[in-house]
Amino acid sequence: MSPSPAGETPLVLVEDLEVHFPVRKGLFGRTTDVVRAVDGVSFTLGRGRTLALVGESGSGKSTTGYAVMGMERPTGGRVAIDGIDRATMTDAQAREATRRMQIVFQDPASALNPRMRVGDCIAEPLRIHGIGTRASRADRVAELLELVGLSPGAATRLPRDFSGGQRQRVVIARALALEPEVIVCDEAVSALDVSIQSQILNLLLALQERLGLAYLFISHDLSVVRHIADDIAVMQHGRIVEAGPVDTVFAAPSSPYTRALIDAVPRLERATRVG
Amino acid sequence: MSEAIEPVLEVADLRVRIGETDVVDGIDLAIAPGETLALVGESGCGKSLTALALIGLLPEAARRVGGEIRLSGERIDTMSERAMNRIRGGRIGMIFQEPVASLDPLMTVGGQIAEALALAGPVSPREARERAVAMLDHVGITKPELRVDQYPFELSGGMCQRVMIAMAMIRRPSLLVADEPTTALDVTIQAQILRLMADLRAETGAAVLLITHDMGVVAETAERIAVMYAGRVVETGRVADVFAAPRHPYTALLMRTIPRLVGARKVALPAIAGSVPDVAGWPRGCRFAPRCPLATDRCRAEAPPLDPVGAPGQRAACWHTDRVPEIAA
Ligand SMILES: Nc1ncnc2c1ncn2[C@@H]1O[C@H](COP(=O)(O)OP(=O)(O)O)[C@@H](O)[C@H]1O
Ligand SMILES: Nc1ncnc2c1ncn2[C@@H]1O[C@H](COP(=O)(O)OP(=O)(O)O)[C@@H](O)[C@H]1O
Ligand code: SF4
Ligand SMILES: [Mg+2]
Ligand SMILES: [Mg+2]
Repeated sequence: MSPSPAGETPLVLVEDLEVHFPVRKGLFGRTTDVVRAVDGVSFTLGRGRTLALVGESGSGKSTTGYAVMGMERPTGGRVAIDGIDRATMTDAQAREATRRMQIVFQDPASALNPRMRVGDCIAEPLRIHGIGTRASRADRVAELLELVGLSPGAATRLPRDFSGGQRQRVVIARALALEPEVIVCDEAVSALDVSIQSQILNLLLALQERLGLAYLFISHDLSVVRHIADDIAVMQHGRIVEAGPVDTVFAAPSSPYTRALIDAVPRLERATRVG
Repeated sequence: MSEAIEPVLEVADLRVRIGETDVVDGIDLAIAPGETLALVGESGCGKSLTALALIGLLPEAARRVGGEIRLSGERIDTMSERAMNRIRGGRIGMIFQEPVASLDPLMTVGGQIAEALALAGPVSPREARERAVAMLDHVGITKPELRVDQYPFELSGGMCQRVMIAMAMIRRPSLLVADEPTTALDVTIQAQILRLMADLRAETGAAVLLITHDMGVVAETAERIAVMYAGRVVETGRVADVFAAPRHPYTALLMRTIPRLVGARKVALPAIAGSVPDVAGWPRGCRFAPRCPLATDRCRAEAPPLDPVGAPGQRAACWHTDRVPEIAA
């Protein structure tokens, strides 16, 4: 759905993806059923683009994101990163894919080790990948803090010294440490107060502009999605029921489900009634 | 609100203290029969403590240190705990954000509704069950005869919220206090629950205090709004008036910072710098001053009163209300 010029390999390709979970039932825990969390999903995400996955809770958005990240193994279909199938990747290729893709979750508090100083936390992925010296990593941390709008002094402080919005900036700084090309944002702004939400949305837009990042933006909030995404895929019961450019889908949704979702969004514009 | 009608709820100078700080710092509210007042603001502004103080359910750390609360003219802040118990679930119904957590996991849905009913006086088990089934049906729960014997974990979040509403409304309260009742729900379920609340309000004439942080929800459900910031109401008025011409910078910026289903996309949203300060860091003078683009020395020195400005019934606590249109554009 992201227009990829003929012949260009999409950064992320998802084809007929299935993730089915066995459900154990009964006394002896025999498998009697499966949850079809993701049930035949296909899309592509191009460089520097934002694709939003929307839908109600339980529709399979997160599971799709995890499969893209390689955190969940597909039971069918495939995920290819820059043309290389995840299922057939060598260890070196898998490591490289891990570097190129990061995920940011809803709750910044649980993503940060409360006892680790913010600078160490941001440098951790570099350390794990054996990148740089202690001194060069410190420089990189300062650079990353600046990039996400925090002061260099933040490096020596603990997560508890920061507000929710600042913690999400720290999480984003950490995600950027390895210079990824894709960030999966799983409800990354959903738990934030509106003023903080807009600060983080602005940050994501600015980072995309500056670094050419692609986002797989998972959200149940259609107003946020309309603001930030280029393309949208609407999920229901593990399937994509509608997909296309944001402008098109919001102007003329072709699926009744999409229409219902859009209609259900409460709107400021409707405050015209005289009380 | 017309002056002639006696308000269902009238609150004057409500104060709630935690430690040394008044985290609810002198709040006035009034709600007429059949009217919804939305109490909005970002988290930590004191919305929930305001609601809990009204119904006498403050957490241990907090205490009410001032204010008069009247329900249909009658002082309830001076009532005994026993009398308040009767009022809760009777003349005042309550709904909270986490429906699943608010229900008793060990009791059937019907049992819990029966308990709510029994607060008013003895009812036979058969009558309680019949009325529970009827009420479940009324709040849009399908197969109520089946659901009445189920436990909360067997129901979805949206259904649990319907059960909460059934419990809150079964005694036809004159005041419904709803603290973020749809925040944890999916958008289509949210729309259904808001519609249900509006229908029940129309049917019973209850006054509703709706706490939310969603300005869209306010626009669609409330007649009047009170915007809270750091323990104080900073702007109030009819929703249509406040949204058309906010006179407090916080209201104006809150409305502009929200992504909308209309207008430009992929551009920087007008941001509000910083975040709501911790209670310990509330500044003297106007508490919004550190984040306010219009702040002057006077703002930092002196707290502005909540004075009439703009449309009839509209008030804002700001020294520079005349300059707010500059940032509301
Ligand atoms: N590890 C798991 N085992 C069993 N079921 C799961 C597991 N993870 C997710 N599910 C189920 O898969 C469905 C999709 O879940 P999820 O991807 O988290 O949806 P969303 O992110 O859209 O809310 C849900 O029904 C969920 O309960
Ligand atoms: N039980 C409690 N103990 C200590 N502080 C509390 C407690 N409940 C609330 N507070 C504090 O009081 C302030 C107002 O809280 P609350 O009324 O819950 O805000 P809101 O509902 O607007 O998010 C916040 O700063 C919060 O941290
Ligand atoms: S009083 Fe001053 S600081 Fe406070 S909101 Fe008005 S202009 Fe801003
Ligand atoms: Mg999810
Ligand atoms: Mg609250």
